[in-house]
Amino acid sequence: MKKLTIKLSILAIATAFITSCNPFEIDEIQDPNNPSVGSVSNNASKEQIQFLITGLESRHRGYVSNVTRAWGTFGREIWNLNASDPRNQTDWLGQNGRVPDRSYFGFGNTGGGSWATPYQAIKQADVLIVAGENTENITTASKSAAVGFAKTIQGYQFMIPANWVYSNGIRVDVKDALNPGPFVSYTAALDAIKVILDEGDQALQAAGSGDFPFTLTSGFDNFKTLGKLRQINRAISARLNAYRKDWSGVLTALDGSFMELNGDLNAGPTHPYGAAPDVFNPIYYLPNAPVNSIIVVHPSMLDDATPNDKRVAEKFFKRDEPVLVTTDAGSLVGQYQDGRWKSNTDPIPYIRNEELILLKAEAHAQLDQSTEAIQAINIIRNAAGIGSYTGSSSKEALIDEILYQRRYSLWAEPWGHRWIDARRYDRLNEIDTSYDKGTIFTEFPHPQAELSWDEYKGD
Amino acid sequence: MIYKPLLTLVFLILSIGISQAQYTVTGNVSDERTGETLIGASLLIKGTTSGTITDLDGNFTLPIPNSNGVELVISSIGYNSITLKVSPSQTTLNITLKQDATNLDEVVVTGLASSVKRSNLANAVSTVSARDLTGTTTIQTADGALYGKVAGATIRSNGGAPGGGMSIQLRGISSLTGASQPLIIVDGVYINNSFQSTGRAAVSGAGGSNQDDGSNRLADLNPADIENIEVLKGPSAAAIYGTRANAGVIIITTKRGVEGRTTVSLSQDVGFANPLNLLGVDNWSEEKINFFFPEQTRAQELERFRAAQASNTFIDYEDYFYNNQATLLNTRINISGGDDKTKFFVSGNMTSEDGTIKRTGFDRYSIRANIDHKIAPWIKLGVSSNYINSSTDRGFTGNQNNSGASIGYSIAYTPNYYDLRRNADGTYPTNPYFSENPVAVTDFGENNSSVNRFIQAFTLDIDILKTDKHFLKAQIAGGLDFLNNATEVYLPEFLQFQSSQANPGDIFVGRQESLNTNFQAALVYNWNVGRVNMNSQAGMVRLDFQNHSLFNRGRGLVPGQKNLKQAAVQEINSEFESEVQEAGIFLQQEMNFEDKIIGTLGIRWDKSSLNGNPNEFFAFPRASMAVNIANFDFWNSSAITLLKPRIAYGETAGPVPFGSTYTPLGGTNIGGLLGSTVATSIGNTAIIPETASELEFGVDVGLFNNRFSLEATYYIKNTQNNIQNLNLAPSTGVNTTPSNEAELSNKGVELGLSGTILEKSNIRWFSRVLFWKNTIEMTRLGIPTYLSGGFGSGLGTFLYAEGYSPTTIVGTPADPSVPGGFTVWGDAQPDFNLSFSNSISLYKGIELSFLIDWRKGGSNINLTSFLNDGGGTTNGWFDDDNGDGIPNGRQREPEPYNNAGRWIQDASFVKVREIGLYYTIPRETITQWFGGTVQGIKVGSSANNAFMFTKYPGYDPETSTFGAQAVQNNVDIAPYPTSRRIFFHLTLDF
Repeated sequence: MKKLTIKLSILAIATAFITSCNPFEIDEIQDPNNPSVGSVSNNASKEQIQFLITGLESRHRGYVSNVTRAWGTFGREIWNLNASDPRNQTDWLGQNGRVPDRSYFGFGNTGGGSWATPYQAIKQADVLIVAGENTENITTASKSAAVGFAKTIQGYQFMIPANWVYSNGIRVDVKDALNPGPFVSYTAALDAIKVILDEGDQALQAAGSGDFPFTLTSGFDNFKTLGKLRQINRAISARLNAYRKDWSGVLTALDGSFMELNGDLNAGPTHPYGAAPDVFNPIYYLPNAPVNSIIVVHPSMLDDATPNDKRVAEKFFKRDEPVLVTTDAGSLVGQYQDGRWKSNTDPIPYIRNEELILLKAEAHAQLDQSTEAIQAINIIRNAAGIGSYTGSSSKEALIDEILYQRRYSLWAEPWGHRWIDARRYDRLNEIDTSYDKGTIFTEFPHPQAELSWDEYKGD
Repeated sequence: MIYKPLLTLVFLILSIGISQAQYTVTGNVSDERTGETLIGASLLIKGTTSGTITDLDGNFTLPIPNSNGVELVISSIGYNSITLKVSPSQTTLNITLKQDATNLDEVVVTGLASSVKRSNLANAVSTVSARDLTGTTTIQTADGALYGKVAGATIRSNGGAPGGGMSIQLRGISSLTGASQPLIIVDGVYINNSFQSTGRAAVSGAGGSNQDDGSNRLADLNPADIENIEVLKGPSAAAIYGTRANAGVIIITTKRGVEGRTTVSLSQDVGFANPLNLLGVDNWSEEKINFFFPEQTRAQELERFRAAQASNTFIDYEDYFYNNQATLLNTRINISGGDDKTKFFVSGNMTSEDGTIKRTGFDRYSIRANIDHKIAPWIKLGVSSNYINSSTDRGFTGNQNNSGASIGYSIAYTPNYYDLRRNADGTYPTNPYFSENPVAVTDFGENNSSVNRFIQAFTLDIDILKTDKHFLKAQIAGGLDFLNNATEVYLPEFLQFQSSQANPGDIFVGRQESLNTNFQAALVYNWNVGRVNMNSQAGMVRLDFQNHSLFNRGRGLVPGQKNLKQAAVQEINSEFESEVQEAGIFLQQEMNFEDKIIGTLGIRWDKSSLNGNPNEFFAFPRASMAVNIANFDFWNSSAITLLKPRIAYGETAGPVPFGSTYTPLGGTNIGGLLGSTVATSIGNTAIIPETASELEFGVDVGLFNNRFSLEATYYIKNTQNNIQNLNLAPSTGVNTTPSNEAELSNKGVELGLSGTILEKSNIRWFSRVLFWKNTIEMTRLGIPTYLSGGFGSGLGTFLYAEGYSPTTIVGTPADPSVPGGFTVWGDAQPDFNLSFSNSISLYKGIELSFLIDWRKGGSNINLTSFLNDGGGTTNGWFDDDNGDGIPNGRQREPEPYNNAGRWIQDASFVKVREIGLYYTIPRETITQWFGGTVQGIKVGSSANNAFMFTKYPGYDPETSTFGAQAVQNNVDIAPYPTSRRIFFHLTLDF
């Protein structure tokens, strides 16, 4: 009897112990590592808006490595030599008849740096816009400034997927993740981008004057006022209008931009890079680095160079030892590497005064204003130390000249200018494939994930 | 009302007190074949809980509490039980027991608080005893010792690096994402068996941490401590484990002390390892150089080639890096003993095994104390404590990008006429063919993981009431597993690739800490309804898992320094924290009609903080029945002594991955500012666990007094709500959201045939054949067909489509007739597995055993060949088998040449996993030599992975560059070659 009492007491104590800790209670575990997107959707603080703006700057540079390497390869500005993965050669150069498919090397099912990444910047800008609209913690002018900044970046980023898939068209209505809009043609997409950029410009204008009310990185050094940001917006519009073949629109936009005919050709905003916790310049390589995974200058750039072109001397660094990569499609040898960067923390410019002057030249040439066109061309030529233009002033000759100058002035900038330029003038077949026996791609199909989504929604 | 049952209990307890001995039975128990006495054999009066065990000389004395004839059940581990009648006129017994070939009498743990005799089991639960596990040879890790011993288990080694790295798939695939490994429970503790990151892939540029080639942490457990391993292969057996049991449950029980004299056992293994298989590298000729190298570099290559010819210095780099002999040392000490109140088992283990690549190896130090103590006759406490310190150096193999930090890549790309070896002045030549000099990396690179781990378990058994006919007991159990893993990957500043960097020298330092705790309380009531014995259990389970990891990186190092503060660029590479809480309730009812019909019903309800709704309970029912036809009175076949058809059904779940419900804002730094970025994955707040249901049926047959046994099982395992990422339109700026849409079906057969082929006084030959086969089909995908895994369609990837197995490998060229649009080239799933094990006892004391493991079918994606072909170093590269003028290395079959199909290769193999030959020196001889000091001496020699037969053109058909994965677990990229291990053994018992 006594023993049973002891046993029952022990059980009772045990039961009480178990009940007191309540082992059935499960906490709702909040994300211990990150804040949630939901935390900014309603009445975000000024600091939270600031974090989203800086986040947008970060998303804004996401495309740089992929676009520079891949599009640069497509336009044979460079070879992205990589002994560790031969597909950087075989697939990107279209060797042995390879053509882009929906999950091509380097782009995957989502289109990677040429599709998903720019759209992530667009999404980030949308979240910023919504967060700005739904908060009482910043002034109306600040809201307008944030919207203007967001839409300016969106305009720039939308052009990346549009140029990648070109005639296949892109989605421009992408605000609702579960209900994206239809694909629209390249022309329609560019028109939609124009609207976004114009809205951005108006919003910046509506925000008043003076400094942009949020902190920007050194990437916007010299562009931190509302007025200067509008100049960036207009510069991007000028590039867009050239793609839209709206030549007078190019000139109008340039008027509002930071173009300065006698100014520093390098003036313009940049993507900043730095040591951790930032990331390094993703296309920097140490001079003469004894590696065989490195961006090298495409040999045609040297073959076609004008003697004494300062751009060749400044941008192309001749290695002591060439870089050799062999694949099942043969071997490629690179003698020159990218000489533009002094260190791995150098910022990468993405739209410069030099490009704006070349756009001016192109627009004038297209509008048969050869004098103004040649004037602009000569600014570039003289800066490169190759003397003034002496060729024909026919439109065709001037366009030839401008495209040639663009190859050297805008070489390997994070845009793939040569590939896009050759395509918009229907000159893809002029790109030199004699070294790699590859193919010049015109465009990419939509990435597989887009197709899959439409299929899923169709069910 | 309340008092009535209580009074009954009191009466029952009092009735124990009045029992008294009426007569006493005495006798001796011995082995039928050898005549050796059996220590610790158990004698139980049938139908009661009273009995005794034999002493050191095999003698026993058992008082019988009444004056009637009773039946005694005599049993001993490893022997067939027998039942004998005794009566006051028959009180002296000399009992002989037969060695059990079929383990029908062993007890199998089937519930959270119950166990059942194998002969009554309704599921095909595999049990691997210590003898089967480690009796033949010494294997580094417990999972590696399971090869070929569990029907239904597909075990794969991720590579040959020392210190483990194994994955186990039980009955096919239960989950499409992640590793999907079985739940592992050691002495009741839910241990951490994750593949922890080392940072190697981050430093080598390979990619995500799944390419680190890290060990799974079961490697920490000393296999020699294990008493047995039970494998619950599917939901029908594992349902009572609920949410974490979808991939099966592996229950490991460690050795415990037995009553009697204290024994001290000391074992030493000395061995060496060599690579099991090397491929050879291709030679060069001027003709080949002229073909292979472009015009610009040809002259220089020819010059180097001629210089090598002149001095005859050609270096076979494969041989140089991989073909080294490694020393293997293992020391073990066990001390065990106890009395009727306290029993103990204390063990120590020192493992020091080098790898076949220089400066790699695995060291493990383990101390264990397992103690059982009766606090009172009715309350028993058991504790198991294990501290482990292990250190693993796995070197630099596998995938890399640009950094050159993988030996296999350098072997692939460096021709044998170029000398990369260290110069006389201590510097290393620059490798013009790849980014790195692998000799320098091997000499100076570090890739170490050091684990400190403590696993603690306790159980408390309380007999609340105990009579001849009933017992009620409470079982409280719990434990913890605390693991700290300090990792370091270091590449010094003077290495070729480092010196090509802006900040040369790279140190990557990781700290991972995990704490698993579990607590379980159950009440077990055993009672009878007529002739049916009822065992009822009710209980609860609580589980908590906490993980924290922090990785720091320093680049631009002061020469020779590894402290992060000596780096120019200091970076917090990642920090991650997770916490999971789970609770469950279970009820189980077992019914046993005189060992003739045995039925079980059970249910478990679980909730988890991982789920969309953390407070929703999910139910996991089970039911099973076994019928022992041979136990019925009408059965009188002397040939068939066991005939047991059985059927079982059960449901389980697989947990939702941590964080599936979150849509986070990530932290990012740019230009000195902190930003928040919108994640590319949207959380699913309605996510539920993936569930599986399994119907298993089969028959167990025992022939000729169970000298032979056959176990045949067929199962149908269907999974629902399988979690996979739904790919969103990436143009919306988000890529994925987890979904619960897919369903899979696994169907398979498991056959086991075992028996004693010969049993004579001077030879006993036991043999076992296991066969198993599984087929998988995606019965529902729920989202559009997609390809995933591997390195894309050009090199082979996996097809996720309805009607196909997700292990289907597809690749170029395009084939529009197949969903997903590419040609089907293979399937990772093997056609079948077959293992054949034998143990032969000869004369007195000689034992020979071996185990052969055959895996038929199943393809790998062999990208090692892809690399070697790219570098012109594949053996036979410049041969031209089809005589069309294009060398083999530039034109691989199948036609049309050079598509993905060339890398997808049949990975069938036959491996002689284990061979052991031991001699136990006869007791008399030892007594002559040492008097009574030494009780036993055993000497032997053994081999692990002794031989391999395969047509697969890689180091080992078992390899996975992505580690343990549900699907893409067969991609071969420059792995660490597997070793053949040869040992000499000595064991002394005091």
